[in-house]
Amino acid sequence: MDASSILVSMRDEDQSFHVRYRMEASCLELALEGERLCKVGDYRAGVSFFEAAIQVGTEDLQVLSAIYSQLGNAYFHLHDYTKALEFHHHDLTLTRTIGDRLGEAKASGNLGNTLKVLRRFDEAVVCCQKHLDIAHDLHDKVGEARALYNFGNVYHAKGKSICYSGADPGDFPEEAMAALRKAAEYYEANLFIVKEIEDRAAQGRTYGNLGNTYYLLGNFRNAVIAHEQRLLIAKEFGDKAAERRAYSNLGNAFIFLGEFEVAAEHYKKTLQLARQLKDRAVEAQACYSLGNTYTLLQDYERAIDYHLKHLIIAQDLNDRIGEGRACWSLGNAYTALGNHDQAMHFAEKHLEISKETGDRSGELTARM
Amino acid sequence: QQQSTAVPSKQILHSDALEMEPETMETKSVSDYFNQMQMGSLVSSS
Repeated sequence: MDASSILVSMRDEDQSFHVRYRMEASCLELALEGERLCKVGDYRAGVSFFEAAIQVGTEDLQVLSAIYSQLGNAYFHLHDYTKALEFHHHDLTLTRTIGDRLGEAKASGNLGNTLKVLRRFDEAVVCCQKHLDIAHDLHDKVGEARALYNFGNVYHAKGKSICYSGADPGDFPEEAMAALRKAAEYYEANLFIVKEIEDRAAQGRTYGNLGNTYYLLGNFRNAVIAHEQRLLIAKEFGDKAAERRAYSNLGNAFIFLGEFEVAAEHYKKTLQLARQLKDRAVEAQACYSLGNTYTLLQDYERAIDYHLKHLIIAQDLNDRIGEGRACWSLGNAYTALGNHDQAMHFAEKHLEISKETGDRSGELTARM
Repeated sequence: QQQSTAVPSKQILHSDALEMEPETMETKSVSDYFNQMQMGSLVSSS
């Protein structure tokens, strides 16, 4: 090779290095911006930056794995679960190829969560098991605890998906009860670890879901104990949203314990927090629960007051199903008070909405 | 002249009313990865 061809070859190498360097830098900048946007909750914009980063490309497979994973999570938060599945799957394939065990565990966990939401429970279980196995192999207690929590969530969702609507908690088909019992076992196993490692935030989450599992199993006393723990931890962290969830779940459990006054007190706390958090949908749900609780207490004036509050919010939110429920409840309460004109008015409104929303059972109830 | 028409509990509460805790998604961060790399190179060059 003569001197000039050596020079040309060196120049080509330089140029290729320069292009690769520019490409890596640009991919990194885009990914970092995507990461920043997702951290502040702007997932839509975050997705655009991550996708642009992929378009530019990178030779660093750890960076690519982080991009795939964050894209999957961003789509998960945007409720686009098909896309979330696609990117978590890419991440899993990549981490397996490069032999990154911790990365594979994380990808399996995320894939399991996504499959759970898509109600593909059997596949989700396989992913949770993979997550758990790797965490165990790596002596990663945090990972192990998280895998057990995810396992609990999968079995809880599976159990709930089999529950017949209209059946009381604790009175579901055996298949649903078996799944719920498994969920409780996984949550208990998770609690054992998160207590050992003193992770209070994780304990809070697990107590919340364990409480809901006990509730569906018909074990309302244990549900109350778990939700009270959840409430305590939420207060420790000043986590108002978690506090609100705990109050609402406690209200539900006390209804089934027949302690309606106590339930009403908890729903009132829910309502107060929903207003503080400016969450109109939750405010509507709390009003609906309070209306129903006062119906159970046969205090129909108060029941009407809360059902009317629910009706107004449902109308504001354009929630026709909620509006239908409010009208049905109001018709019921006015009938109890002997106010037949108002009862008829709301019954007719309920019928009209049931027809519009295609709610056949609502329509039949309204006609009765 | 009240009539007792309290709605049975099962009609007013169903599993949809349960408030679940959020899923915990695993995170992989590009910035954390580079911070680790830099720390590693600082350690090896010292």
